[in-house]
Amino acid sequence: MADEYPFEISPMFEGERVRKDDLYIEFAGPKSKGFELVRVAEENEIEDDGFTLIGPDISEMEEGLLYPLGMIYRISGALVEPDLEAIVERRNHDFQNYIQGMMHLNQRYDVWLRISKDMIANGLESLEHIAKATMMLFKNELSFIEKIEAVYITDLEKVEEELTKAMEIYAARDERTKNLHDEDVDNFYGCTLCQSFAPTSVCVITPDRIALCGAINWFDGRAAAKVDPEGPQFAIEKGECLDVIGGEYTGVNEVALKMSGGEYNKIKLHSFFEFPHTSCGCFEVVGFFMPEVDGIGWVDRDYTGLAPNGLAFSTMAGQTGGGKQVMGFLGVGINYFRSPKFIQADGGWNRTVWMPKDLKNKVLSDIPSSIVDKVATQDDVDDLDKLKQFLIDKEHPVVEKWPAKEEEKAKPPEKKADEVGQVAPGPGVFAPTMPLDIPSMIGGGGEGIKVTLKNAKISIDKIIITNKK
Amino acid sequence: MRVIAITGKGGTGKTAIAAMLIRSLVSKNMTILAVDADPDTNLPEALGDTVEETVGDQREFMLRERDNLPPDVDKERMLESKIYSILAERHGYDLLVMGRPDGPGCYCYTNNLLRGIMDRIVKNYDLTIIDTAAGLEHLSRRIIRDVDELIVVTDGSKRGLQTAQRIRVLVDEIGLNISHMHVILNKVTPQNRDRLIELVKQLELEMVGMVPYDEALARLDLEGISLMELPKNSLAQVEIDKIIMKLGM
Repeated sequence: MADEYPFEISPMFEGERVRKDDLYIEFAGPKSKGFELVRVAEENEIEDDGFTLIGPDISEMEEGLLYPLGMIYRISGALVEPDLEAIVERRNHDFQNYIQGMMHLNQRYDVWLRISKDMIANGLESLEHIAKATMMLFKNELSFIEKIEAVYITDLEKVEEELTKAMEIYAARDERTKNLHDEDVDNFYGCTLCQSFAPTSVCVITPDRIALCGAINWFDGRAAAKVDPEGPQFAIEKGECLDVIGGEYTGVNEVALKMSGGEYNKIKLHSFFEFPHTSCGCFEVVGFFMPEVDGIGWVDRDYTGLAPNGLAFSTMAGQTGGGKQVMGFLGVGINYFRSPKFIQADGGWNRTVWMPKDLKNKVLSDIPSSIVDKVATQDDVDDLDKLKQFLIDKEHPVVEKWPAKEEEKAKPPEKKADEVGQVAPGPGVFAPTMPLDIPSMIGGGGEGIKVTLKNAKISIDKIIITNKK
Repeated sequence: MRVIAITGKGGTGKTAIAAMLIRSLVSKNMTILAVDADPDTNLPEALGDTVEETVGDQREFMLRERDNLPPDVDKERMLESKIYSILAERHGYDLLVMGRPDGPGCYCYTNNLLRGIMDRIVKNYDLTIIDTAAGLEHLSRRIIRDVDELIVVTDGSKRGLQTAQRIRVLVDEIGLNISHMHVILNKVTPQNRDRLIELVKQLELEMVGMVPYDEALARLDLEGISLMELPKNSLAQVEIDKIIMKLGM
């Protein structure tokens, strides 16, 4: 192998940096153009190990200058599918960094390469050497590739032309990636980064649920776990699905028990009330239940005002954080609002009644059109009474669920108490349907009492309020 | 692959010492990574250099743009490339400015990526010199791990020496695995010399050199001129060269 190429090839050269003083030529990068692209092709279309260069070669280039570079690989094989393109393409970075004296940075249309003076001194004259070594590594390390050929482009006009085409391919891939859901994968990922200050925190990252900090998505988890399985991000075999809507999996429950030191053994990924995800303290947004309207509000770190419940982000974050399952509060990452499974166990968007304007605008296009105008912001309301009126005016879906309508007030109170008994949920749950008859009390009953619960964490099985006659 | 952090109370001249060390070492054909980890960035100026973007800017970019990036983009590769693009490459040394400290929000993930990237970058140099404020911010966050030695610069004030002592306590508290902590006395005059030596002894600090007060250096400092202009035979530079010998660099 060593004789075939005028350079050494070994994983030990990964991370080797070519400094400007040692640089012979540079390709692509922030000051030029370039890309790398892997495409699947038919077996008979590929000339195995073939190499085509469009534009000048290294021997025709001037020392110290920067050139554009496009690298296209076409692959085939019985097991090769279009979905593998991105995975194969990613390895170009690894393999080219195995080459001594060569530096490959970044990915896709951001690639940036350097060739050292030493490589030239050792006899490198052509990009063909590099392409052939890279193809050899592709085939050795990814055995499903049966045939591979490479086209490298150093002619600026042609690079630009091919880059435009490549951009469409990347965009199509991104679309497919966005359509990846929890049910499509076998592994979720856990993250322990927050455990230093939230020791019972169980962070589970799935295609439909970004980490609470908003920084780590499922792909980041996968990439990190692959590089260092013992590192802060690791794979969780999701196991059997116990609750499709709530998002409960045996694998997640097992990991939860382990990660939380025995504190939690059940986590429902897309639930707000029942066994919610733990909240670490790093979350971008905190959700808070407002029993007065039976709805959920969300407030983000950047919003410094008060939410309609009279509390600021910092106050609620203090209560929610610490790696606990907190009834009535939930920390999430902003991208979770874009998830089709967004708190689907508890009504999703139909349960959302308030958000700061900036946060709402950020995720506006992902809010279902049927509800988008019904979610209030600080411009619409600043307290619970106004929120209630807003929801009534806009006919927000939560209003239908309010137990006490004006007409019902006429019914005998005893009967109502019975109904209440039936709908009350099990113990320990911060009752989402808590039938505090507040709308009628404040709304227009005028019986002389007003109950305002602020910053409350209550667990109640049953409340019976009757009129003494 | 030796990593040395230079710190001390503000105004003691730690940046000037760092710049003089770098200058001498570059002439010895070592590859050097200079890291300005003081939020009040002035190592570039002392080196006669200008740096437009900082590591902090790149970190903010990653935080700001993360939801707009392709979902499966490799963020470590992306951040690495961004760090490389702001690394100022000069003859003999490369300069990296850390810039603004973390803002509100969660930096755990990005900082964790940064740790891996810095680990790899540092390996490419014979020597990394970090100019850092007395709070040792980037060291305590382990953005740069494996710092071998700490040099505390102090001037002719008791407060400077007290800071040196506090840094020693801090190093233990944050559990930095530092093999040596040295003290360089700076701006030493015939008047304060004996008293300073006595204070160093009382505080049980390990002194590696005394840089005399140098008119030429003070003038450059005053005018904001690069210390690269300092004559090689100036008093301060000669003492720096001796310190380099002593530290076996």
